[in-house]
Amino acid sequence: MSLTGLRPAPVGRSGIVQIDGSNFLLIARRVPKTRSMARNATLAEQLASKQREISVAEFFERNRQILGFDNLQRALLTAVKECVDNALDACEEAGVLPDISVDIAKDDSGPDRYRLVVADNGPGILRRELPNVFGRLLYGSRFHANRQSRGQQGIGISAAVLYAGLTTARPAKITSKVEEEEAAHVLEILVDTQRNLPKVVSDELVLWDRLHGTQVELLLKARYVRARQSPLEYLRGTAIVNPHARLVLTEPDGTRITFERASTEVPPVSKEVLPHPYGLELGELSAILKQAREKRLSEALPKHLAGVTPRALKEILVQAGLSGRDDPARIHGTELEALLTALHAVSLLPPSAESLSPIGSILIKRGLRNVLGELRPDFYAPPVSRPPKIRAGAPFLVEVGLVYGGALPPDQPIQLLRFANRVPLLFQQGACAITSAVETVDWRRYGLDQRGGQGLPTGPCILLVHVASTRVPFTSESKEAVAEDSEIVKELQLALQAIARHLKSHISRQVRREFASEKFTIIRRILPQIAEKASHLTGKPVPDLTPVITEIMNVVTLETTLSEKEAAPGLTVTITNYTPRARVLELFAEMPPELTAALRPVPAPDGTDPALGRAWWTLPKLLPNGRTEIQLRWSKAQECDASDFDWYVAGVDESHLLGADALPGDWEVRLPRQVVEAVEAAEVAGVVQGGTGETEVDYDGAEKAAALEEDD
Amino acid sequence: MAPKKPPRSKKTTEPEEEVRVDALAPTLELAAQIHAQLTKGEVPRMRLPLRTKQNIQFQVKEGVWRLGRSTGTRSARKLDGALMLLRTFYLVDFIHEMARDRKTSTLRELYYISEQWKDAKFHSEDESNLLIEDLEVLCTRLREDFRLHPEENGASVIGDLTLEETNRKGVVKRFNCRDDVGDGGYALPFNVEKEKIRFRATGAKFVLAIECGGMVDRLAENGFDEEQNALLLHLKGQPARSTRRFLKRLNEELKLPVVVFTDGDPWSFRIFASVAYGAIKTAHISHYLATPGAEFLGVTASDIENYELPSDALTEQDTKALHAMQSDPRFGTAEWRSEIDLMLKNGKKAEQQSLAKYGLNYVTETYLPEKLAEMNVL
Repeated sequence: MSLTGLRPAPVGRSGIVQIDGSNFLLIARRVPKTRSMARNATLAEQLASKQREISVAEFFERNRQILGFDNLQRALLTAVKECVDNALDACEEAGVLPDISVDIAKDDSGPDRYRLVVADNGPGILRRELPNVFGRLLYGSRFHANRQSRGQQGIGISAAVLYAGLTTARPAKITSKVEEEEAAHVLEILVDTQRNLPKVVSDELVLWDRLHGTQVELLLKARYVRARQSPLEYLRGTAIVNPHARLVLTEPDGTRITFERASTEVPPVSKEVLPHPYGLELGELSAILKQAREKRLSEALPKHLAGVTPRALKEILVQAGLSGRDDPARIHGTELEALLTALHAVSLLPPSAESLSPIGSILIKRGLRNVLGELRPDFYAPPVSRPPKIRAGAPFLVEVGLVYGGALPPDQPIQLLRFANRVPLLFQQGACAITSAVETVDWRRYGLDQRGGQGLPTGPCILLVHVASTRVPFTSESKEAVAEDSEIVKELQLALQAIARHLKSHISRQVRREFASEKFTIIRRILPQIAEKASHLTGKPVPDLTPVITEIMNVVTLETTLSEKEAAPGLTVTITNYTPRARVLELFAEMPPELTAALRPVPAPDGTDPALGRAWWTLPKLLPNGRTEIQLRWSKAQECDASDFDWYVAGVDESHLLGADALPGDWEVRLPRQVVEAVEAAEVAGVVQGGTGETEVDYDGAEKAAALEEDD
Repeated sequence: MAPKKPPRSKKTTEPEEEVRVDALAPTLELAAQIHAQLTKGEVPRMRLPLRTKQNIQFQVKEGVWRLGRSTGTRSARKLDGALMLLRTFYLVDFIHEMARDRKTSTLRELYYISEQWKDAKFHSEDESNLLIEDLEVLCTRLREDFRLHPEENGASVIGDLTLEETNRKGVVKRFNCRDDVGDGGYALPFNVEKEKIRFRATGAKFVLAIECGGMVDRLAENGFDEEQNALLLHLKGQPARSTRRFLKRLNEELKLPVVVFTDGDPWSFRIFASVAYGAIKTAHISHYLATPGAEFLGVTASDIENYELPSDALTEQDTKALHAMQSDPRFGTAEWRSEIDLMLKNGKKAEQQSLAKYGLNYVTETYLPEKLAEMNVL
């Protein structure tokens, strides 16, 4: 969303609020003529006498739906959301691991009344800021900061206070303490809607048992339900994309639901960057130049705009027909327009993505596992985090995570979890660019059912999609759906296709695994019994089954088992040569780069590439039916598991490999001599051996087919 | 492996037991084959003739359809194959155990015995029956040699046939299948071989094999057997091996023509085929079970039209069965082709008992005499 034309928040004055292309003129209402009006006054005068300013607060009071307070159920969710988003932003800015509690209780003072208390362990808010933060719309620290944050316009929390006041006439009770002060300030605040100013009802100092933090208490008209669009679902989503936060919800019936922290890393604070010329509009440029203290255009432009290199500056000035010595404050009219055109036309450094705060693939996986673990999905696809891109001068990036199988219903549409700047989007799924991007991917190609190749696919699958940007284009101010933007949709599609490919290879691996499990049943259970029976009936000793086993399997298998021991978490990797010939193999592991240093593999790898997160081993020669093991141990704090590793094997053809993939061609690895020689020897042997001519009719298959045809 | 034959002594049950032990020798050869394969490092496998309609051939000499030369392989490479191999040996082991204990078992008992076989247990009685047939084929023996037999299935004979049966107690009983039996007729035992049943005399001129019990009762009540010198044999649906074997003996030993009278639908045509040509699943013993001279009387597709019989529309299953028969070589004659085509064209089937449309005596007074005269049996 973008709210332009309002800067710095004009208290109680008129202005134009632009919400995604629609202009909201915050000026006088025209009041219908009345009979008492003086007949001799001119029409203009009559009208002028009725012109009267309305405040931003008054405007929103009458347009609640814009902010998401249009019905009782939704109002509660929106209030929870605004409080929690604020708390998370505050904690993050201060580098604190968020610990947030949300208490919702029925209040007996009137019908449909609920008391909402949201407390955080953030840095606290200074006494002098408290009234404005909670009692004045469009007041905040983030609107002008050009970086990614949950709240941006400074409307949300004060809108919740406004709504509470409107429905119950009770002030919000804010308790906040900063570390430097001994006591907490407790203020009761209402929004003066006429003037868009805070009204402090009471102001006290109390001792509080926490070092720092803020607590918001609201009494509001609401309805509590446990549906898809409920505070619970909102917190569940929030917990997934904020694995560093601990969230506790207490429901009206006393049920307490805790989302424990899954990561102890505070996400890095996104940096504030200068606005980039490619999304700049005329008004913004004008305001920047007017506020610039520099006296020369050549100094002002690089100072206040991103990406303007000295070389680009020259080009801009030439194209715009301006001089570097011009006074920025005096540029207007056609000059201003020429400057903007030049800024858009000249090629500039792209906007910095440092202002973005992606979740990152490791944390997406961890968050999904933490919250969805009880569904026991078979597969957590490696999350896809696209590189930052620019639209309208603002950097953005998309991230996608996917889980599949387990207890998820196989015959229902997939569950789509949408997020914008780490905030779950629970409403207007159908109007969201994320949804339309998901629906335009042909999921049938990737192993999910999808009627007609479009629409939401069906399958045991949860899809997480996150759009992060300094300016996420929302369809409305309630920030529930990402607006249809071709560049965002394109990035989404690329990310979705990338993760869908992982899904497809998982599904096809699963099919191969089922095939393999048939073979394992044969060699581990049936074949030994056949041998035992045949020996018993003939009175001969049981023969060695190795050659038969390798003939039936004819694969090299890689199996991983996770150590259950709490004290020594780790992974055992077993490689078994179920092929009829001896093998010399090279094993490769790929893992998140930060893991390479923390692992203590036994035996030690023959080489590592910590930057790429790779390690490799030349395995001892494996005779038919022979196996070898590699142990990986890590400290408990490391929090990794089997799915953090990808395994590749060289030295055997991909069709004879199970549980690992063939080494990708683009790794450009030089294999050790003994591996290469073994492969060559195997190729020669393969040519000599030739085809085994197994084209016989399967007797039991033919019987079954005949039975289907109902032969007598 | 087979124990050396002890010297023959008195005529007791011993020699018979000995034959049985001999009969089991091929089963041990199977085990030896598989053991040899395992020792050589080969994936265990057995080769079996395919028992499908694509693999039956007409034997001119015997006048029946027998298994052709196409074979399939049952290999431990596939889970189904591995399981069947394992079951084969559990079965062989069980057969030897029965031989030691001088026991026999019904097919159904075998199915339940397999509960003890863990991974190898049968999932249906069809599965166990098929495996027994496989073993018959592999060892060129009959299931009776393996001490396995079906339950008595209640097929029966009514008419002027005098026979001797050696009963359970070894006592020889002699009786006439019209005068010495009740209304149910003479119930066939599962063993109808000469050691059990011997034909002594008959006044019958032909055998009328009938699909349904209701029709047998109608003909008996109307005295058709005496009036027309017919031996009525109740097939009881798809006839059991013993029924077919009994028919063949009547035909061969007493030179009685066999006429088959069934419903007019594809399944009844198949009943006739199994009597006259040999069934596909038992094609390995068609020479022992089928009666090549048997003729089909009706109800034919043209009967339904000519006699204006009450009929039902063919179901989807019926149509499918008729289409399957079009590629069944046993129905490859011009007569059968036109019969199948006609039935498909009219889309109608009728039961034997629909003849009652014209009264209870119509079948014995009109329909059968007309049809039998047409066939030169009467």
